[in-house]
Amino acid sequence: MAGLDANDTADVSFDLAQADSEGLRVRITGELDITNVDALESAVGSALERHPGRLILDLSGLRFADSSAIALWVRWSTAVHEIELRDVSPILRRVIDSMGLADTLNVKP
Amino acid sequence: MTESGPVSGADAGPARGTEGENEIERERAGANRRRWPFWLPVVVLLVGLILTGVLVSISASAYSSNEKRLLDLRVREAGAEFTAAFASVQTPLASAAALADATNGDTAKFMQFIAPYTTGATPTFGSATLWRVGGSQTGPLAAVGTPSELSATPSRAETFFAGTAASRTHLGVIGLLAQPLPRLGYAFTSPGLTGRYVVYAESRPLPANRRSKFQKSSAFSDLNYALYLGSSQRPTDLLVTDLKKVPLTGQTASLSIPFGDNSFTFVVNARHPLLGSFPQRLPWLIGIVGVLLSIGAALLTLRLIQRRNHAERLASSLEQIADENRRLYSEQRTIAQTLQHALLPEALPKIHGVETGARYEAGVEGVDIGGDWYDLIALDDHRLLLVVGDVSGRGLRAAATMASLRYAIHAYAAQNDPPETILSKLSKLVSVGSTGQLATILCALVDVEAHTLTVTSAGHLPPLLISDGTGTFITGTVGVPIGVNAGATYTSTAVSTPPAATLLAFTDGLVERRGESIDAGLERLQHAATANHSDLDGLLSRLLEELRHDSDDDTAIAGLRWLD
Repeated sequence: MAGLDANDTADVSFDLAQADSEGLRVRITGELDITNVDALESAVGSALERHPGRLILDLSGLRFADSSAIALWVRWSTAVHEIELRDVSPILRRVIDSMGLADTLNVKP
Repeated sequence: MTESGPVSGADAGPARGTEGENEIERERAGANRRRWPFWLPVVVLLVGLILTGVLVSISASAYSSNEKRLLDLRVREAGAEFTAAFASVQTPLASAAALADATNGDTAKFMQFIAPYTTGATPTFGSATLWRVGGSQTGPLAAVGTPSELSATPSRAETFFAGTAASRTHLGVIGLLAQPLPRLGYAFTSPGLTGRYVVYAESRPLPANRRSKFQKSSAFSDLNYALYLGSSQRPTDLLVTDLKKVPLTGQTASLSIPFGDNSFTFVVNARHPLLGSFPQRLPWLIGIVGVLLSIGAALLTLRLIQRRNHAERLASSLEQIADENRRLYSEQRTIAQTLQHALLPEALPKIHGVETGARYEAGVEGVDIGGDWYDLIALDDHRLLLVVGDVSGRGLRAAATMASLRYAIHAYAAQNDPPETILSKLSKLVSVGSTGQLATILCALVDVEAHTLTVTSAGHLPPLLISDGTGTFITGTVGVPIGVNAGATYTSTAVSTPPAATLLAFTDGLVERRGESIDAGLERLQHAATANHSDLDGLLSRLLEELRHDSDDDTAIAGLRWLD
């Protein structure tokens, strides 16, 4: 497990689980926006290169995500074979739908 | 600070002018502070030295008065010894005078009586003589010891004896100090008897240089002294001293000791401090310590002042840096805003039959340029393309992408591409995989004459159509944002518009709030936009004012209203 707090920015933390048979699992909690999205990208980037198969984002603890966060996920979706967003809140789900990205990001209820 | 409308340029001139004046003011204040940094240490030093001086003077005067008191005590003690010694002179003379009277001037008896006082190891007198009073003096009746000085001048003797006889004490003392062998003469006449005889004796010669020390064993060996005949301290009256030179210097004490019809003046000073050396040195000690403490305190004060000045200088330079940063920040902000407005349309096209309006408002109080934009492109005299877009992220990269998308739309629109084709072509210009950027774009093709609307969305929020106090979002098929995949396809939704309808297209800054569904924001917009009637420009201003406070996102909004 690796933990990281982004300072001077919106409050966010992320946990990277060891890749298992399902794939690389990243749990994001807090608020994710343009002020800390770079921290998430650098925290996950190298793991993503090692495990380009399947990326599972556990968003059950995510309270807010802005368009730059969604842009990052879309970028990841192009870098891995398959992406999956789990436990997406209704509010976030609505944003993703309004952007026509539900399929691209493979949002699971 | 926000800027509204397609107006460019914020003037930072006046702000900078004020800052310049502030700087001069600060310089002046700084110069005052730095005027002379040493006054406080100097004051501390002066106060310390004055205090030291007072303490030194108090301790010196205490020492001096104690020393003086002790010296007075010593001189009186010594005087008492002298008085006792005088008895050894007076008693034999008085006895001899009484004997002479009683024996009617028997010289043999006189000589027999007085002779022991002129002989021996330490004789009381050098010589002793018996004289008859009255008549013309021719010499003594009898004499023992060395020749008498006064016998050589009988007239002087007569005057002296007359004075002695008249004196209350009957004892006369005369100084024969100018002689080669200086000495004192004592004369005694018996009171109460016939008074016809005078016993006159002379002391042994005084030392030629008048010097004689106290014996080392004496209680007064710690004193210098001088003994004078009479009440003055004239050198010619000096009888004896232990010093090479008189008068005595420094702190002296004197005592007048009456003897016969004359007196002696006894003057002493202390060879060494009578109180000991410590009380004598104490004022010096206080002085040295006081001066050192004063200098130390002054140096300490100076150091503290220097530190404080240093801290003040540091604070003021930090202030200047902060000012400079504020200035740079505002300059950068001005640059960002200028650039932002440069990337937005300078003026909106005029199309007969519709009124158009647009606003751009920067979100966060930052220097970053945003990625939101709006555009209205006249395609011909009755059709126009209304575009609102939002590039993810902020800064120059977002602005550059925004600019390239905006001008590409102009180019594709100019070759009469329909909106879905335009968006599809745009999707090849941006790739989230390579730049990390996405752009949501809404294109609305408006046919003013035909009152129709064709809306195409690349991941963008739906436009609001308002008519007769009712607002409807035109939610058609939403395609993926530009940048997700190159060559994405888009579907347009066509609607016909009622007369005097109003179309509003906007970016998410107008409706999105943290922790709230965008549906709530869209509803808020719907309500605000239909609340009352005003002209399009007033509506746009009011919407920004009502919906955007506390939003930190950029907002672009473009509107169009049919005039019929």
